[in-house]
Amino acid sequence: MAERRPTPHNRRRRRKKITMFFKSSFYDYTLLFVVLFLVIFGLVMVYSTSSYTAEMKMGSATYYLVRQAIFAVLGTAAMLLIARMDYHWVRKFSVLIMIAVIFLLILVLIIGKSENGAVRWLQIGSIRFQPSEVAKIGIILFTAHMATVKSARIGDFKIMLKVVFVPMIAIALIALENLSTAIICSAITLMIVFVTSPKVKQFLVIGLCVVGLMGIFLMVASYRLERIKIWLNPEKYEKGYQTLQALYAIGSGGIFGKGLGQSIQKLGFIPESHNDMIFSVICEELGLFGAICVVALFVILIWRCVMIAMSAPDLYGALIVVGVVTHIAVQVIINIAVVTNSIPPTGVPLPFISYGGTALACLLAELGLVLSVARQIRMPKEY
Amino acid sequence: MIKTFTRKKIFVMAMLMIFAFALLIARLSYLMVAKSEYYLQKAEALHDRERSIKAKRGIIYDRNGVELAGNKPVCSVSVIHSQITDEDKVVEALCQILSLEEETVRKKVQANTIREKIKSNVDKAVADKLRELHLDGVMIDEDYKRYYPYNSLASKVLGFTGSDNQGIVGLEVEYEEVLSGTPGSILTLTDAYGIEIPNEAESRIEPIPGNNLYTSIDVNIQKYAEQAAAKVLKAKQAKRVSVVLMNPQNGEIYAMVNVPEYNLNEPYTLVHVEDLYTKQAEEETESVLKENTEETTEKEKEKSWEEMTEKERQDALNNMWRNFCINDTYEPGSTFKVVTATAALEENVVKLDDTFHCPGFRIVEDRRIRCHKKGGHGTETFKEGIMNSCNPVFMDVGARVGVSNMYKNYAKLGLFERTGVDLPGEASSIMHKQENVKAVELATMSFGQSFQITPLQLLRAASAVVNGGTLVTPHFGMYATDETGKRTKTFEYTVKENAIRKETSETMKELLEAVVAGGSGSKGQVAGYRVGGKTATSEKLPRGTGKYISSFMGFAPADNPQIIGIILIDEPVGVYYGGTIAAPVMSEMFSNILPYLGIEADYKEGEQEVMAVDFEDTVE
Repeated sequence: MAERRPTPHNRRRRRKKITMFFKSSFYDYTLLFVVLFLVIFGLVMVYSTSSYTAEMKMGSATYYLVRQAIFAVLGTAAMLLIARMDYHWVRKFSVLIMIAVIFLLILVLIIGKSENGAVRWLQIGSIRFQPSEVAKIGIILFTAHMATVKSARIGDFKIMLKVVFVPMIAIALIALENLSTAIICSAITLMIVFVTSPKVKQFLVIGLCVVGLMGIFLMVASYRLERIKIWLNPEKYEKGYQTLQALYAIGSGGIFGKGLGQSIQKLGFIPESHNDMIFSVICEELGLFGAICVVALFVILIWRCVMIAMSAPDLYGALIVVGVVTHIAVQVIINIAVVTNSIPPTGVPLPFISYGGTALACLLAELGLVLSVARQIRMPKEY
Repeated sequence: MIKTFTRKKIFVMAMLMIFAFALLIARLSYLMVAKSEYYLQKAEALHDRERSIKAKRGIIYDRNGVELAGNKPVCSVSVIHSQITDEDKVVEALCQILSLEEETVRKKVQANTIREKIKSNVDKAVADKLRELHLDGVMIDEDYKRYYPYNSLASKVLGFTGSDNQGIVGLEVEYEEVLSGTPGSILTLTDAYGIEIPNEAESRIEPIPGNNLYTSIDVNIQKYAEQAAAKVLKAKQAKRVSVVLMNPQNGEIYAMVNVPEYNLNEPYTLVHVEDLYTKQAEEETESVLKENTEETTEKEKEKSWEEMTEKERQDALNNMWRNFCINDTYEPGSTFKVVTATAALEENVVKLDDTFHCPGFRIVEDRRIRCHKKGGHGTETFKEGIMNSCNPVFMDVGARVGVSNMYKNYAKLGLFERTGVDLPGEASSIMHKQENVKAVELATMSFGQSFQITPLQLLRAASAVVNGGTLVTPHFGMYATDETGKRTKTFEYTVKENAIRKETSETMKELLEAVVAGGSGSKGQVAGYRVGGKTATSEKLPRGTGKYISSFMGFAPADNPQIIGIILIDEPVGVYYGGTIAAPVMSEMFSNILPYLGIEADYKEGEQEVMAVDFEDTVE
């Protein structure tokens, strides 16, 4: 399964590379370490935030920890396995994966399980998962594949639209139920195309259009407008409760925090504090210092990814890494911006740290792809 | 290899991301440094729950350390709305066990407050029953309730406390600051459901228990005085009998009785004076019969209570709690002749052997003012005039003193001021304005009519007259101690020395001893002791209704008074002369109290014989 399958037309060159590759095989241990550290730190924080409420409601303090740990182990195994694979081999399944993703997204709209009002889950036996998380991988692989194929002519706006057409269908399906995930997927698609295209101006125009459309959308959808009001004045609205509680947690952390495990806000004040709001508890327990450390870890992770993308042996590999890094960065930025009430509230988990098995496993799989790309970096002069 | 522009674009992407992260870190720093204090305070306000711990109320002791008012452990029941899981069950249990109405309980249970008190002063046994149900959201706190071991003893002096253990009347309210102590508090952290977080360091401020109050009351004297008062109340079918027994040298009050007393443990149960008349009789009848009668009276009482309006009930209760000795004024009548005589001696306008004539009345201006003896006392000396309690003699003496000198002496004896007794609601005297006092007013005032003072004011003035001229402040509170028994405060009272001359006091003691030894107060005699005193029979206003207050003011030993007392019988039925009905009660009390106080009897020959015979009888 892990066998690399060189395409026939460049077999000779490939074979040569394979030997080179194995001799000076590069493995990005820094990235691996940062990811594993984030996963373990995430488990610690999930336990810290959930143990009290889990004890009360589920009867076991480790209820959430155990579930998250299972996914962390499976996800890490998947990551290491994928890192051993050749991403070119994976590329063959891009279209297939994309079709499967769109099928699952339609399926979830029909028979999905709802949570907090939105239909986001698929249940098969005792396993539940979120197709929208899988969709992110699908979109990364497919868009990267399409963009590579059309790379020569992607400067043409029509060609570019062809590249993003299928991903847009998936994004539209996601947007029906989960706007924030749709935004993340859009950002991934856009960033891949942006990096591939030699043009700059049209992206500035697209950027302006997106901002304009977003503004119009916010104006039209009244319940989104209410969100804006809550965002501006969380203390005046009952629905601002969650935001306010997060702010209390962040503010009461101070510079050094209350100490690991010492958060009070997690004791039911912040609803589901092990989920999207977990960063506020990190702030409360570890202070500004801890919060900056966590942000710094993400910056290192992004920086390693960027380096891998820039040194990638081919465009496809670089685009996969760009997709993954965009996914992670956008999610971290939105998550922290929401808990600090810098943008209107929306539910986005903090990568690697927030509770959520599918999301964690998918993220680790994506990192596996990045590591796989990294392994094929040729080491000579440039690096 | 990937193209250069792609690399550049990847670099731009990275820069955008890092720029966003930088903004977020700036935002975080603002929230966690500049706004940290603000949010921390808000968060703490959300987490902290303050629970106050009641301070134990100080105990009231008598002069020998006998507990008059103490504390009994009870429980208070409250609910925490957010913790209630089964509302109906909670409401049902609370209604049933605490016997409360469902509507009020449900309203309190539904109140979305931190803590809603359902009932305080719940018996421990009842609370334990509730505790056994283990209902979520129902909190039971240990508490103390005021408890009066002697029930009705000195009820109108001690007073009682309200539901929050705060003093309402009597010494309980007067010494509130001493007794109440300082409540403590527990600051606990709670989670969002209002549940206290175990193991969280809680800041606890310990309550400071109230100080114990030592009073001058002597339980034995008080008890005995109450029994004597109740006996005469019943015998004379009187409306009320008041007794004050005091040390005339320093103003310490040994006993203050106002029968009917009420049960301090049930201060809202109205006491009917009529029940006291029959009480003795009931006790003598068979138990079954007794139960029956009691039941019927109980029913009648309840009915009348239910017929009252809210205001009438409150008035009735207030009336029951009243301490006649200090809260009400009355016309003192002949006991006030002590003051008139003192004034005359102070002003040197009369000598003991000055002679007066009493034809049974005296005409003052256009009024004919009668003496109590219709035929008149004839010719008598001043001393005989006091012994006979002769009104015309005192009208003449009063006229000799004159208005301004009379008022000067009233002031010296403290009759224009409150006594300063440490009980709330003391009444002031009601006197004529000096410029309005003409011959008639002066004449009536000379024998104690046409003005009003409190019994305690009279007793205080009389104390100054017999103790050598020192105007003391009657009082109960002596000193306060903390828990460990260490004295924290000794109460001091104003003492005015030489309010009157020593010689006047000496003469007055002789005169008043003569009143008891051979005058109108002869029934106040106590075998083996020299007793001084003065009787009075004052007709209540309006005149002519046949309602009297019979009183006797007495002290002993006459040469060096250690105890002074006044007894007032309000509206006696039948014989109403103070000398006949009030003096014997004082005599009876003195005969027991004087030996109790350690004052040795000095029997004259006749009395000794009687005692000897009695002794022989007992031996045989």
